[in-house]
Amino acid sequence: MRSRTVLIALVAFVLATAAACDSNKANRSSSAAPTQTTAHPAEHEGATGAAAPGSPTELGAQFEQLLGQHALLAVRQMRGVVAGQRDFREAADAALQENTDALSRLVASAYGDANGDRFKQLWQRSITDLDAYADAVANNDAAAEQAARTALVADSDAYGSWLAEAADGRVEAGDAPNDLRVHVEHLMKQVEAYAASKYDQAYEIERQAYEQLFMVGAPLAKGSLTPKLAARLDAPPEKLRSAFAMLLGEHMELIIDAQRATFGGSPEFKAAAAQVNANTTVLTKAMGAIVGPQKASEFQSAWGNHVEGLLAYSTAAADKDEAAKAAAEQNLDGFAARLALYFSDIVRNVLPVEPLTKAISAHDTHLVGQVDAYAARDYGKAQEMERDGYQQMLGVAGTLVGAIQRTVKPGLPVGGSQTGGGGTARPAR
Amino acid sequence: MTQGRRRALAVLAALALLAGCSTSGARQAEPSRATSSPTTAARTAGGVEAARGFRSARGYRATPIPVRLDIPRIQVTSSLDRLGRARDGTVEVPSRWEVAGWYALGPRPGDPGSAVILGHVDSRSGPAVFYRLHRLRPGDEIVVTRADRSRVRFVVQRTEQYDKLRFPTDEVYYPTLTSTLRLVTCGGQFDPTTGHYRSNIIVFAGIKT
Repeated sequence: MRSRTVLIALVAFVLATAAACDSNKANRSSSAAPTQTTAHPAEHEGATGAAAPGSPTELGAQFEQLLGQHALLAVRQMRGVVAGQRDFREAADAALQENTDALSRLVASAYGDANGDRFKQLWQRSITDLDAYADAVANNDAAAEQAARTALVADSDAYGSWLAEAADGRVEAGDAPNDLRVHVEHLMKQVEAYAASKYDQAYEIERQAYEQLFMVGAPLAKGSLTPKLAARLDAPPEKLRSAFAMLLGEHMELIIDAQRATFGGSPEFKAAAAQVNANTTVLTKAMGAIVGPQKASEFQSAWGNHVEGLLAYSTAAADKDEAAKAAAEQNLDGFAARLALYFSDIVRNVLPVEPLTKAISAHDTHLVGQVDAYAARDYGKAQEMERDGYQQMLGVAGTLVGAIQRTVKPGLPVGGSQTGGGGTARPAR
Repeated sequence: MTQGRRRALAVLAALALLAGCSTSGARQAEPSRATSSPTTAARTAGGVEAARGFRSARGYRATPIPVRLDIPRIQVTSSLDRLGRARDGTVEVPSRWEVAGWYALGPRPGDPGSAVILGHVDSRSGPAVFYRLHRLRPGDEIVVTRADRSRVRFVVQRTEQYDKLRFPTDEVYYPTLTSTLRLVTCGGQFDPTTGHYRSNIIVFAGIKT
């Protein structure tokens, strides 16, 4: 029962990934943030619990996704400053601005247009100060570092004051500034480590920064909701969706890090790859929580082939070896076909092999396209593919949890337990 | 153009060049930092060689099953039976009054997810293994020993009583990626007509970090 459930969930994940790949361009505008509106989500008290656009769970999911993405884009932008990569930095700046615009629209949809404007002002100021910090680190300018640090602490406090007012008491007074302080500390520490060539530390902190800011998404959404609506974000299925969205988004981003680090030195690649493996380990354990240890092991093996295949392609791309690229793509196709057979077999052929194979291949194509663009120094396109690939994960997690909901829940024990004989019975325990 | 003017322009050009160098000198002095940029073959070589040797995480090892439960605060020490689902869809309960049981179709303690351990509050004649479970309070420690003798510690977050007709199935059994533990027994009023208690006592605990 559990294995069947897991496999169906995995298959759903793969299908969702492929579907997202196919509809990338069509969804591009909608994947950013909802259209600006003055309607407060709390007004939709009577809405269904489904994650339709504008629902509390959708709002939380979009905040999580955009905030997690902000952390990663900021990390890369700051490293671009330290490394003096002008072309890359321009692309990173543009991606960061696009993310800020989307976040501001989302804030406006949740808290009203005036708060959207105020948020954008605060957020952009903190990005400017992060940029200044990275610049100070790059130039070994201690005084400028201190000035930027002081400015970032002030930014955190200003953000906290803004949110406390915007949320009208729905968030703890100290939480918001603290969340942002932790975030800027992560970003400062990672760029210091990166500049000192302490790549293990830099990439580990990057992962922490992503997870920390991703998890700020739910509280930010809750601040705009009535307690009753906010409680929907704490429901177990929603928490599971959120956790998988975080891990799958992280997988996508860490693969991209490793792909790009293939073009760098050995220590940096190893540091990036270590975080890819850390994510795989956590993801495997997460799958184990749903499907049990044996199927978790099978998942890890299949996932490992997927990851190794993608990095083999990156190696070939860095080598500019067209024959090796073609061979790597062929291997990826083989992995996809075998994975499809595996999934189909596990679900007893309920799902046919052919569409499964296409779905897995479409997912691979997305990451292959990213590294091709990076190798060609078309950083704008590489960032675009990064954004699209990352945004897919929201739908993936939703589909995954939807499948789990349909298949796992009926298998859970029904009702309470009869764990008493009555020998010590008394009126009330 | 006069010779003097040419000299002046040359000096200005040199100054401009120097100024340009100085503004970007700090970064250009350390080109090795631009490690992720596909700029030079020398830089690429190291990353490519490392990538060639990359191996994904494999060799997943299942967490050993739980074999013993200790709750110092209420003097509980028990081995653990394995429990599944009964034919009617309800959770199986331990066959012995004095021994608790682990719901083996769910996560293992310490793994992501809610591990569930059940025990009887009493037998037909007196107290059973979870007789004092309702006394657990936030901060109390629960220790689970696994088959390899490793221990995982949990801390009580809250203790609640639920009518069995409103048992919080999702909160107890629904998959989560957080490592948690749920202890379940009976509580509330005993219904002599059915021979069962009307409520369940549930202890919610999180892993001790």
